[in-house]
Amino acid sequence: MFPVPAFLQCPNPDMEQFPVIETRDINKTFPGVKALSGIDFTLLPGEIHCIVGENGAGKSTFIKILSGFLRPESGDIVIGEETFRYLSPHLSQEQGIQVIYQESLLVPQMNVVENIYVGREITGKLGFIDRRKALSETRKVIESLGIALDPQAMVENLEVADRQFVKIIKALAMNPRVLIMDEPTAMFNAQDTGVVLKLVEDISKRGISVIFISHRLEEVARVGDRVTVFKDGRTVASHDNPRRNIDLAMITREMVGRSVDAFYKKVKTHPGETILEVQGLKLDKDSPEVNFTLRRGEILGIAGLVGSGRTEIVEALFGAGKKIQGKIIIRGREVTIDRPSDAIRAGLGFITEERQRTGLALGLSVAKNMTIAGLNKFKRAFITPADEIRSAGRYVDDLAIKTPSLQQEVRFLSGGNQQKVVIARWLFRESEILIFDEPTIGIDVNAKAEIYRLMSKLAANGAAIIMISSEMPELIAMSDRVLVIKHGQITTELVGENITEEKIITYAFGVTDDEQTA
Amino acid sequence: MLSVIFGALNPRFLSMRNLLAIFQQIAVLGVATMAMALTLISGGIDLSIGSMIGLSTVIMCRLIMDGTAVPLAILIGAVVPVGCGFLNGVIVAKSKCVPLIVTLGMGYVYYGFALVISGGLFMSMQGQFRTLGRGVIAGIPIPMYVVILMVLGTHVLLKYSKFGRRLVALGGNETVAFLSGIGVDRLKIITYTLGGAIMALASLVLVSRLGNVLANVGEGYELRALAAAIIGGVTFEGGRGNIPGVFLGVGLLGIVQNGLNILQVSSYFQTLALGVIIVAAVVVSNIEKIRQ
Ligand SMILES: Nc1ncnc2c1ncn2[C@@H]1O[C@H](COP(=O)(O)OP(=O)(O)OP(=O)(O)O)[C@@H](O)[C@H]1O
Ligand SMILES: [Mg+2]
Repeated sequence: MFPVPAFLQCPNPDMEQFPVIETRDINKTFPGVKALSGIDFTLLPGEIHCIVGENGAGKSTFIKILSGFLRPESGDIVIGEETFRYLSPHLSQEQGIQVIYQESLLVPQMNVVENIYVGREITGKLGFIDRRKALSETRKVIESLGIALDPQAMVENLEVADRQFVKIIKALAMNPRVLIMDEPTAMFNAQDTGVVLKLVEDISKRGISVIFISHRLEEVARVGDRVTVFKDGRTVASHDNPRRNIDLAMITREMVGRSVDAFYKKVKTHPGETILEVQGLKLDKDSPEVNFTLRRGEILGIAGLVGSGRTEIVEALFGAGKKIQGKIIIRGREVTIDRPSDAIRAGLGFITEERQRTGLALGLSVAKNMTIAGLNKFKRAFITPADEIRSAGRYVDDLAIKTPSLQQEVRFLSGGNQQKVVIARWLFRESEILIFDEPTIGIDVNAKAEIYRLMSKLAANGAAIIMISSEMPELIAMSDRVLVIKHGQITTELVGENITEEKIITYAFGVTDDEQTA
Repeated sequence: MLSVIFGALNPRFLSMRNLLAIFQQIAVLGVATMAMALTLISGGIDLSIGSMIGLSTVIMCRLIMDGTAVPLAILIGAVVPVGCGFLNGVIVAKSKCVPLIVTLGMGYVYYGFALVISGGLFMSMQGQFRTLGRGVIAGIPIPMYVVILMVLGTHVLLKYSKFGRRLVALGGNETVAFLSGIGVDRLKIITYTLGGAIMALASLVLVSRLGNVLANVGEGYELRALAAAIIGGVTFEGGRGNIPGVFLGVGLLGIVQNGLNILQVSSYFQTLALGVIIVAAVVVSNIEKIRQ
């Protein structure tokens, strides 16, 4: 290539490129909600363009307009030379747009390769599916991405993180010009997040433009060439980030409309009496024994790698997973927990990790989802909508859940607001021992701070909290004690000053000699 | 709208007498559809409800023909579908098999019993127990009262009771229901048993009206109840649907059938039309999904 003469060079490198996608004045209204008003947005070739904004700001809605799942009421979508009023999913794919949604769209009963090629199977001469070719192609992609993934594993047996990789590979296999990722790192721990981020950078280096939505502002700062802030369905600002040092406090201010102390810290309380004691809990015959206690006013963090068995332990405690032995003592009395109803009666509440699958009945209303575990709180046999508003309505206010009404179906709420509905369920039930499994997945900075404040308040009022988390800052700021889990075993308990990222990582990996040789 | 069309085609359609006749005809279907709707909304389905009618009514007649006291015969006949529903519920809940297959198979079992008991012959109530199906109070046939009470009862139960909440949650997402402390197996058994109890009422109304029955008397009720429920907005996935809508579905089906009767369309063609309506209803109810 020839060097371009100076006078021909544009001062702003952005100017020399035509946008891949440009939207002008996009508007979208849902019943009771103006989701997007006048969105102008440009995506340049090969750039990583991050979109940030509070829960319900309209990010996913905007994406669904680009992918053709939703039609805007007005506005233009310019792709290359062509201008569209709206797209269809087919048209969008034809234009080289691929989207990785928040929700999983994989077929659990198929293996990785089958999922990647579903709908466009490689066929041989006779029209039969050429499994070997598909497998080798997939292997190649997996290798080129530098990740560890068994192409023949069943998707239902994969960890969330690996499922995410499958989605990414599936999208890349379509040779897209534009890859849109809606909170791709939400369910990842720091280490896997690093892998995804590197993946995203590699992808953009291949000339593919990436739209990247995330609530983790540090990663936005780290990979974004440009950052656009959505607020209440509008774009409020767009910043270049060439030196990867964008001012996050400013971004937060633009998102929320005021400054937010993102580094919330639990108010120290004097832990009260022991409320929960777990003795000799074993999930199966070969698994190690788990012992721990929990006191009122305490937040007990549980750290460990994804797949280290943290969720399984709390599931067993809650009566939702398998266990073969173990004594559970609550408020000084031994209780038998064979199923969740036993646990709930004993005062436990469980905010699960995958809210779409195990947290919410998506087709039911906000009110129904909130009250389902606490129907006995209603004194009378029959429940009227007025009763619901009286009893469940306050949690919409307390947690600032953004919904047009209590009767709205939960599937129409944005991701973060869905999470708040799950939390509200257990507040409504007045559970005293709350298990939060990755409580802030997909939650915006402001709501995060709100949830921390809420947890802190609950603890101060005598509740006890178990918090599984892969987010180090969260674990460190919120926990009174941290149990580190590895292979289903508690490797250490860290208290107070000792709760540091370094220590957690050391014990979570805890490489021992025999494993090094393995 | 349909009524107007049929009314224009044949003025007899809109006569008071005919409207009452429609109600008469849909009474049994209306009650049966409540049973179907409940199981569907809970995330299941009961395809054996037609056979339950056959078994229940055949047993009643058999007992009466053999000289059993009428009240006792009726009581036993009414308990039978409740037992059938319970059995369906237990198998569905404990085996974790697809309810569609389980209840389809159980339907054959019940039908088979009905055939064995009746020997394939007409069974007669011998003129007993006619009031429920044929009586009139204040100028309105009793089956109309039955179906209206049934619809109201089911509506209140589903919309306002705690049981109804749990049932809808079960249909909406079984895992969530389980993790929210709902006894999922028990709830399924109760739902199917309740469906059976509703079918007991349907059987009583029908046998009382007809006076004598064959084992296949309930044939087709499962499919028509399914169609009515789907037309009324219930979905196969469960967790969705409301009883007033379902009742409209029943009414619509009744009007179509009655209209075709009055226009003297042959019963062969009517079968065809019913099939088309069912498939169309299912397809239309799925349009949102197709769009995606
Ligand atoms: N199909 C729908 N019907 C009704 N309202 C909807 C629908 N989809 C989205 N909304 C509403 O539109 C608004 C924007 O939602 P959207 O999902 O785009 O938010 P988001 O920015 O992606 O939030 P999050 O970060 O929580 O994922 C929200 O108030 C949401 O409740
Ligand atoms: Mg979103």
